Amino acid sequence: MLISFSKKLYKIKAIKLAIKEYQDLANFSLEQKGNYIQVELKNINKDVKQIIKDEFCNYVLFKSKEN
Amino acid sequence: MDQAKIKNNEIKFILDIKDYPIEAIYGASYVFLDKAYLFLDNKSSKKIQVSLKGKKKLTKKQLETLKGEFLNELLNYAFRINLTKHNKKIREFIISQALFSAVGEEGTVEEDQLEYQDDPLGIAVPWEEKYKKKLKKTK
Repeated sequence: MLISFSKKLYKIKAIKLAIKEYQDLANFSLEQKGNYIQVELKNINKDVKQIIKDEFCNYVLFKSKEN
Repeated sequence: MDQAKIKNNEIKFILDIKDYPIEAIYGASYVFLDKAYLFLDNKSSKKIQVSLKGKKKLTKKQLETLKGEFLNELLNYAFRINLTKHNKKIREFIISQALFSAVGEEGTVEEDQLEYQDDPLGIAVPWEEKYKKKLKKTK
């Protein structure tokens, strides 16, 4: 599962903080490509597979405002 | 604003930064974190695509309503940001006046210099001392 966050709208610090909180639910890898920060999720916990992407994006947005 | 696209329990629409400041978009998004799943994306340097996805299954009408509520909140934030920008000078003036007058008051400085044992108003009289005199007079 791949999520592309725009660098202009999302802070890398917020993404890293969100990854830290979600690391027990999947394996995360982060890569910067042009104007985007790509987050790849592997080995996702099957209980949260349906909602992890949306919940993770919301959490990044929450952390963006906080930091 | 362009026509909204509805697909897979999600409504997507594009906002122009000229109309709504980015801070307002963040503010409105923050308010909606409890109601929906949000995702922001850059469509160009001045256009932002907002995706609102229902946390539970929503009808097309409900998604349209969600978008409407989001736009209302956005307008609220845009107005507040605008107001803050316009009132900046007057706010700074009021604060500087308040600080200036506080520094100018000599009484406050004197009060701060008092020790805890000092009693300029003469209220720290022991109970015995105060009421013995009265009792003697009554006798």
